[in-house]
Amino acid sequence: MEAYKIYSLTSAVLFVIGIGGIFIARHFIKKIIATIIMGGGVFLCFVSFAERDALNFADPVPHAMVITGIVVAVASAAFALALARRIYQLTGEESFTKDQ
Amino acid sequence: MSVLIDGILAILAIYLALQCLMAQRLTQTVFLFFAFGLALALAWIRLGAVDVAIAEAAIAAGFLGVLLLDALRDFSPTFSQKQKNPETGQNPPGKDDNKPPFLPRLALGFGLGLFLLISLEAIWKTPEGGGLTAASEAFLPESGVEHPVTAVLLNFRAYDTWLEIGVILMGLLAIFVVGGIRLYSRPFTAAQDPLLRQVILFFTPVLFLFGAFLLYFGKSGPGGAFQAAVLWGAIGILLHLGGRPVFSVMPRWLLQLILTMGLGFFLLLGFLLMATGNALFEYPPAYSGIMILIVETLAAVSIAAALTAIFANVNLMKEDPNQTESTT
Amino acid sequence: MTDLPTSPFPALLVGLPFLLATLSLFFSSKGKAVVGLIGSFLTALLAIVAFVEVTQQGTVIHILGGWEPPLGILLRMDSLAAVFIGMTALVGVFISLYARGYFRAQEDSSEGFPLFWPLWLFLWAGLNGLFLSNDLFNLFVTIEVIGICAVALAVLSGKKAALFAGLRYLLAAITGSMAYLFGVALIYGSTGTLDLALLGQVLEPGPTTTFALLVITPGLMIKMAGFPFHFWLPPAHSSAPAPVSALLSALVVKGAFYILLRLWTEVFGVSLTFAAGQLIGVAGAVAVIWGSWQAFMQTSLKLIVAHSSVAQLGYLLLVFPLLVLAPGVTADSADWLSPAWTAGVYQVIAHAFAKASFFLSAGIIIMAMGHDRIESFRDLAARMPMTVMAIGLAGVSLIGLPPSGGFMAKWNLLQGIFLSGQWWWAPAVLGGSLLTASYVFMLMRLAFAPARKKEPLRPVPFRLQVFALLLALGSFLIILPAESLIQFLESSQIFGSGIESIVEGGVYGND
Repeated sequence: MEAYKIYSLTSAVLFVIGIGGIFIARHFIKKIIATIIMGGGVFLCFVSFAERDALNFADPVPHAMVITGIVVAVASAAFALALARRIYQLTGEESFTKDQ
Repeated sequence: MSVLIDGILAILAIYLALQCLMAQRLTQTVFLFFAFGLALALAWIRLGAVDVAIAEAAIAAGFLGVLLLDALRDFSPTFSQKQKNPETGQNPPGKDDNKPPFLPRLALGFGLGLFLLISLEAIWKTPEGGGLTAASEAFLPESGVEHPVTAVLLNFRAYDTWLEIGVILMGLLAIFVVGGIRLYSRPFTAAQDPLLRQVILFFTPVLFLFGAFLLYFGKSGPGGAFQAAVLWGAIGILLHLGGRPVFSVMPRWLLQLILTMGLGFFLLLGFLLMATGNALFEYPPAYSGIMILIVETLAAVSIAAALTAIFANVNLMKEDPNQTESTT
Repeated sequence: MTDLPTSPFPALLVGLPFLLATLSLFFSSKGKAVVGLIGSFLTALLAIVAFVEVTQQGTVIHILGGWEPPLGILLRMDSLAAVFIGMTALVGVFISLYARGYFRAQEDSSEGFPLFWPLWLFLWAGLNGLFLSNDLFNLFVTIEVIGICAVALAVLSGKKAALFAGLRYLLAAITGSMAYLFGVALIYGSTGTLDLALLGQVLEPGPTTTFALLVITPGLMIKMAGFPFHFWLPPAHSSAPAPVSALLSALVVKGAFYILLRLWTEVFGVSLTFAAGQLIGVAGAVAVIWGSWQAFMQTSLKLIVAHSSVAQLGYLLLVFPLLVLAPGVTADSADWLSPAWTAGVYQVIAHAFAKASFFLSAGIIIMAMGHDRIESFRDLAARMPMTVMAIGLAGVSLIGLPPSGGFMAKWNLLQGIFLSGQWWWAPAVLGGSLLTASYVFMLMRLAFAPARKKEPLRPVPFRLQVFALLLALGSFLIILPAESLIQFLESSQIFGSGIESIVEGGVYGND
């Protein structure tokens, strides 16, 4: 088995862990981290295909997309974190309650 | 042998991801998140993606990790235990209604398992599309840079990169919406801790030089605007934590200029090129190298400022929590 | 595709609002509003000019950086993109005008939300970018631009309910876009291209393609609040300030629908199965009935309108089962395709006008009464006739009575349903209309009922009521150019080679 396949299969596992985390984890911070793990899975998938398609160097387009994707994901996560902290300051809630 | 290393790394990443989400204490979660980021960075290196590794370690694990650590000051460290012994009276004691009922959980687990199997099959059977390596290689000499990833980011697909620099600025604006604009409120105080002072004294020039190195060598090797920006952003964060908040001593217009100049120059250059009959972001081949370097430098400064501002603003949300709420 | 006429407009349509948004950051609160308003007018003007150019020249493109796909990114403005951009411009300019007045009237109580303007212009740039994009990864970046701006706008008020709703919305949006991106990774891995037109030619059926469809479609359905992923929409849309609610409901959710329509028709034709289409159709049918019923059960106006959005977006999902063709049937011989997808586009436009008007009217009522509980609506017709008329007209368009744009949409949809032989969707369309009628008439009945004691009303600027009414009228006026608009839409040939057959080779660029 080529090395890239190990990683591309791992990417699916991370993606599923991320989705599961978003549903099951209750604390805001864990939900936010779950989205990053989900994103990590997706990015791993891109980069493993880039390694597969390497000639003199690995395919640079997925690398560029992943760098862009990481920055975008972190910007969203930072925003989510600010929202979570504000909610905690105002209400003391650390997770979604049933009526919210 | 190498397959073994990859296998162990893959299992480590999965293990850390699971542990991170299942940890009881939030502190554990955040530190496991750091570890997960580093495991992923190692995986990128194994896959030959050094740029991605630096970006992951610097932005996803580093910057976001610092934000998460800072957030821990707010939240109670043991969320799950607090839920189990509610003293605040939020939850009726004795009844464990916090956990979702068993059946939906089972269904969710079953669904996710099925989904995982299908996705593994799909990935296993992915035909070889061939990627764009050949095309990138063919056009690399015309791009004005020697490093293929930089060529894609700042020339072939510069439009995506430009939008993405915008996303960081929008993220900052969004945080201003949530927490109010607090950047300017921090007084200028010398750090009390002598150790912190020394750390700042030592790291500021080192980080600056290392960032400049990454930026300049991004045209021929791994590195570039984003990686440099995080290092420079780290300077801003250090100075902020050390009682020297850079934005408090800066006139507002200067900060506004620094935050927007990467994005603005990129776009104005694009419009200028359009006015001369080219497409948006179509550099004349003779000048593309120098244009890319200017765009990258300005973008790095802007992103560094935006990251510092994001951290400082979120950090100061705690200092001044009694911002008036406009309702009720 | 690269031999199509090149035009600077696609690049300007993204760049101009972006530049103005950046510029507005340098101004004070009042200056931001002025720049924002001027920016809205300029962007709308540019959109109209570009629309006219497309009507005359046909599809125009802009090859960004001069690099042709698959390596580079290409912006494409065909008639479908032009219609969406034009709709965004018309609705957007009215909402901008309203927002200026609305925030100004509230300036004494709060700060007037100066950050609304840069965020709205960034959002507009993102929407234009999405409609023009022809690249799977670029679409991801644009939906992230839209997502961050939309959530930031939704939490503008800073109220607790808005923050909770905003975080839920943001987490749902991130999940949706990551799922979408996973599909993109697999498609890129199996084809080596991201360009939609190229993908339509080279994508082949197989487990990978099917799985990509399986993650991309729900991912985008989360973004467009398609049932059963609609949970985030009612709280987020109802807790935002009125102009923002209008933007979110009228424009933002349509972006994801646009991508879905493009992908299903142009790219995924090869791997669409009957079952996948039926599944989305069921989701749409349930959304229509469930959303309308929920709207009927609410007691505050904004929640009624927000739940009604879930139902109206359900109609859009009903288009998808009609786009799946049986083996051997080509797009040319399937006479129901055209009414079906133009019905979707008409529903998007009609809903944008009607729902924007509805939310703006709700904002006026909140401004006047201080709340939007419907039990206080008695005798409103006599006291705020223009606003009640706007609500009534918008409601009629949502129900789909002639001669409204909503009628055009539902009529075409029914036509497509019966021509395709999938008659079982018809009861959902009709039942949804009946339920919609029930909550619209309930509102009207209350508004015309005599009141025992009248609550004092605060004055509302007259022009706000005019803007809401004009948008409601807009949802009727769009039926006038229906025939030429549908002809114009059909010229876009959104059905790539994917839906007919797989063409071997023919990849452009690269040599």
